Amino acid sequence: MERRIFIRLRHRVLAHPGDIITVGDAAQIEGQLQLKKKLSAMPLYQVSEKDKNIVILDIIQVLRAIHLQDPTIDVQTVGGAETIVEIQYRKRNLSTVLFIGVWLLLFIGSCLAIMNFHEDVSMRDVHIALYEIITGERNDYPYLLQIPYSIGLGLGMIVFFNHIFKKRLNEEPSPLEVEMFNYQLDLDQYVAMHENQETIKDLHDR
Amino acid sequence: MIVSVLFIIFVGLGGGITVGAGFVAFLTVMGIIPRLMQLTKTMRFVQAYEAAVILGAVCGGWETLHMNHLYLTKWIAVPVGLLAGLFVGMLAAALTEVLNVLPILAKRIGLRSKIIILLMAIVIGKIAGSLFHWLYFIDHS
Repeated sequence: MERRIFIRLRHRVLAHPGDIITVGDAAQIEGQLQLKKKLSAMPLYQVSEKDKNIVILDIIQVLRAIHLQDPTIDVQTVGGAETIVEIQYRKRNLSTVLFIGVWLLLFIGSCLAIMNFHEDVSMRDVHIALYEIITGERNDYPYLLQIPYSIGLGLGMIVFFNHIFKKRLNEEPSPLEVEMFNYQLDLDQYVAMHENQETIKDLHDR
Repeated sequence: MIVSVLFIIFVGLGGGITVGAGFVAFLTVMGIIPRLMQLTKTMRFVQAYEAAVILGAVCGGWETLHMNHLYLTKWIAVPVGLLAGLFVGMLAAALTEVLNVLPILAKRIGLRSKIIILLMAIVIGKIAGSLFHWLYFIDHS
């Protein structure tokens, strides 16, 4: 009974080249204290220069490492079947020039996009008609309608994304943050399947 | 005569149902109403919001066809313009989000921490482009 250990792989581990990943780094362990300490310190994987950005550690690899040491341990696994080791080389410093370039790209792009949209849906004609409906007189330049409209355009995007610069309107995550989380999760799932040698087997490759 | 009138009514009704269903489907996909309810925590008024959208669509549709004049002060145009802009802005933001542009951009060039500033580029670009369009572009195109 004391030989039973529960193990749960972490979702993501950050490492540097040359690090030795122990079982305790890659997984949460629960069980008898001494056994837990011993397993936590057990080396599992040596990160080398030839590993690129991501290494996948499969639960089977972890079990193999534990059983190599002591085959009598009863390991119960909980949760996910693989952990993603992300190897960080020197922190990539973003050049300011690139950032300004991207900023300008988005700025000019959205300028052009909104102008094209207005032309496409004849927004001007609609504004002139709306102004005429409200006031009863025709005005080809209904600035009183159009300038608040333009400001409202920006405000609408801010409301949707729940952000004014660093300050947020309320404590819930914005759809953008949820979207970025989902995207990261999809990427993780992809690499977990495709970079993992344990899950792919070609029977014809003999 | 009666047959042709009935047929015209049928065609009009059919067209209206299709366009109305399409409009609602579009709004649903964009998820603007849930987003607004989530921000203001007013989930219990869903049906009032539905009614607002339907009434707005019906009034707008009727007005584009018949142009009744209300003879109100021109300052009413200011809040109307602001609210119209807010709605279009939310649509644009929802579209950007559906197309998944920003998460990919942020991941590709490692701009995760600066994503808010990039978002502001789009917001300010929209305002500037729109103002430029109304104040300058329409007279010079």
